[in-house]
Amino acid sequence: MTVRDLVEMAMKRADGAQATMNRVESANVSFENDRLKTIKSAQSSSISLRVVVDGKLGSSLTTDLEDRQGVVDRALEAAEFGSPVHFRFPGPREVPAVKVFDEAVTSVTREEMVRLGEEMISMVKEYNPDILLGAGVSRSVSRHELANSAGTVLSEEATAFSLGVHGQLVRGTDILWAGHGFGWKKREIDEKDVAARAIDLFRKAERTADVRSVDMPVIFTPEGVSVLLLALRLGFNGKNVVLGASPLGGREGEQIANESFSLTDDPLLDYGGGSAAYDGEGVPHRVTPLVEKGKVKNFLYDLDAAGRAGRESTGNGIGCGSTNLVVAEGDVPFEQMVRETKEGLLVHNVIGLGQGNPLSGEFSVNVNLGYKIENGEVVGRVKNTMLAGNTYEALNNIAAIGDKAEWAGGRLLTPPVKIAKLSVISR
Amino acid sequence: MRDLIAEALDKARADYAEVRLEKVDASGVSYRGEKLDDIGSSRTVGGIARAVVNGGWGTATFNDLDSIGRRVAEACESARLAGKEKTCLAAVDPVVDESPAVMEKDFRAVPLSEKKALVEEYNDIVRGCHEKIETTNVAYNDRFRSVWFGNTEGTFLHDERPDVGVSLSATARDGDNVQRGFESQAGVSGFQVVEGLQEKARAAARRAVDLLSAPPVTGGRYTVIINPRLAGVFAHEAFGHLSESDFVYENERMKELMVMGKRLGPEILNIIDDGTVPGQRGTRPYDDEGVRTRKTHLIRKGVLSGRLHSRETAAKMGEEPTGNARAIGHQFQPVVRMTNTCIEAGDSSFEEMLSDVKLGLYALDMVGGQTTMEMFTFSAAYGYMIRDGKVAEMVRDVVLTGNVFETLEHIEMVGSDLAWSTGGGGCGKGGQSPLPVGLGGPHVRIRDVVVGGRQG
Ligand SMILES: [Zn+2]
Repeated sequence: MTVRDLVEMAMKRADGAQATMNRVESANVSFENDRLKTIKSAQSSSISLRVVVDGKLGSSLTTDLEDRQGVVDRALEAAEFGSPVHFRFPGPREVPAVKVFDEAVTSVTREEMVRLGEEMISMVKEYNPDILLGAGVSRSVSRHELANSAGTVLSEEATAFSLGVHGQLVRGTDILWAGHGFGWKKREIDEKDVAARAIDLFRKAERTADVRSVDMPVIFTPEGVSVLLLALRLGFNGKNVVLGASPLGGREGEQIANESFSLTDDPLLDYGGGSAAYDGEGVPHRVTPLVEKGKVKNFLYDLDAAGRAGRESTGNGIGCGSTNLVVAEGDVPFEQMVRETKEGLLVHNVIGLGQGNPLSGEFSVNVNLGYKIENGEVVGRVKNTMLAGNTYEALNNIAAIGDKAEWAGGRLLTPPVKIAKLSVISR
Repeated sequence: MRDLIAEALDKARADYAEVRLEKVDASGVSYRGEKLDDIGSSRTVGGIARAVVNGGWGTATFNDLDSIGRRVAEACESARLAGKEKTCLAAVDPVVDESPAVMEKDFRAVPLSEKKALVEEYNDIVRGCHEKIETTNVAYNDRFRSVWFGNTEGTFLHDERPDVGVSLSATARDGDNVQRGFESQAGVSGFQVVEGLQEKARAAARRAVDLLSAPPVTGGRYTVIINPRLAGVFAHEAFGHLSESDFVYENERMKELMVMGKRLGPEILNIIDDGTVPGQRGTRPYDDEGVRTRKTHLIRKGVLSGRLHSRETAAKMGEEPTGNARAIGHQFQPVVRMTNTCIEAGDSSFEEMLSDVKLGLYALDMVGGQTTMEMFTFSAAYGYMIRDGKVAEMVRDVVLTGNVFETLEHIEMVGSDLAWSTGGGGCGKGGQSPLPVGLGGPHVRIRDVVVGGRQG
């Protein structure tokens, strides 16, 4: 069965329709407590259908590929009570070129995956045998197909590969968790580099350091930058803008951050975790500047939110979420940032992000893995330390942006960022 | 289904193998602001084959039920590649049983139009409650999960797991000040669970508006009284996860930290996990390894007295299996999870708890929380200062944080007003979220809790 057949079936009773099919085959090897624990394989397939009847939208989803009539009937039932649509399904358009398939991923054997995991574990063990380790290696191959009643027919094959190692070091009642992982659409990930980064996090945490409860400069590592980006992810979401929930709504052209700060949504980075040629509605992907030199530039829209805002879809459907976020590089080397900090924090990750009211930019988080900087040097891990502030204030208080961007996870490419002053609470 | 599973398992070459097949019918309606945001339904069918050979596990998940035989073989093959030691599973008597769903008003028989009308009504109440209500998010979700389980030891189970819930969220704005009020209701006994929530809708809206004029709490250390819902969350998130043996069984240091008989809190503290509480969302006759659920005392009179097990962790630690191996769906293998967790009732009244607090905080409900074993961070939905023994002004941005062990030691009073939460939500672990769980507790008073917020 093809997605075109499904659209045809739906169009007997609908005014518009879109069908997508997603098929994934994946394998994963996981190590727990220093040993190989589970080898998994997964096959999944699903069809989702959106229909428009009398200007109203309904949707349904199934993993039962035999259940064609069922999925059509349920979407039509939903459309009877659905919300009014503010868009038309887009006709055929050319999609951009972006690399999302790496042949090398498809030929990775399970034995090879076991070996990669063992290697990462033995490297970290060599540094410190007391660390209890886990590791994971995954690969997947997927095929996405989309068709709609306006004649658009698209398909894309993609691969994904990821490696990670993490460990737990218990000393008395002190439990330290740290690790590093990376995944994207390409095989090329150096297991030695992943393990080395995990070791570096443990090494910097060998000693602990005291922190005073005062305002101080905070350097966010590329992973740590997520703390600052959560409010922006939500604020630039076109759906939140249309609903009036985003504090950025209606503020295009306004300065919301220092001039040194620029942020882009870029689904066209080769092999990026969020990269693809088109979105979930068949709209070709494009690069969308969100913040340019501190000024609000664009929001992210899917078809429906764009229709309601009187804009054009930016290819962020369905849901107006970001693809890959890219923070523009600055001009300060990371080492210099640390060197120029007399008393401050280096924050790698936190717990408690997204609690409370993230749209407002307010955050109050517990530093999970962070380090004290004294007189230009990282002196040890901090414990029982909270960080509080507001993203929008922080972005107007940027002291420096690193000169080298790195992938943090698979969907964020950013340099480290130093905020001149944030509230730190310790005990 | 039974024949299909039995036939596939017949060819399994492993120390132990099992198959779980699932069919899930779900529907949902949500409003954001004045607009219907989403309406739709889904059907998922799929399964997982799991095998163990020489202590190594192999799993294969699939949507295509016709491929079941191949998937069982694949799982066995993976297990053989992973296995290098000895298979260790606690013995369980094989059982054949059926547990059909019992619903007063079967939500599958309720037309989508009626579900939509209900959500629309609640949404209108929230929106119309106050002019400062800027937007809303009101959602209805139901899920009917049928599960068939069989293993190579002769166990065969078929059970049905309904779950239905409504969440009501109001966002109020005053200039740059944006605040949210949240209420939810969920249960297993049918559509009537989510009917008649007009008062909850009003409460969510009023809270969002009230929080607009509430000042942020001043950071510092306080004596804190947590309400029953937050006490349940604390029992589950801060402590309960430490009782899950998969964190402990192969970890010598954790074993020392969590050694049975260790004093963790005062005499008045009792924490249990109980998969048999009637009507709770975490209640099941059997877990996803076919083991009978039970009540387990995690802390009895302040002393560590039990923990939660899968068949493997029980065998490796030489303890009894407790029926806590749970999976949220066919894509996942069961992992050690809580069922219904609560702090048992003590004998203090709320008034007694308040009476000698000069300056403290009363924290209610939760909008988010995260833990890393020893550390926890919880955002209470709202709170009130306690001044001179009385509940005083409302405050917002109440974030409680601390070390679990220290915080347990700091529990001073346990209330007599135990309540199981009727709210929604669930637990996340190992990428499996949300798993329906039950949360319960009375009011609990804890001294010296660090409350985040900006410096005063
Ligand atoms: Zn949990």
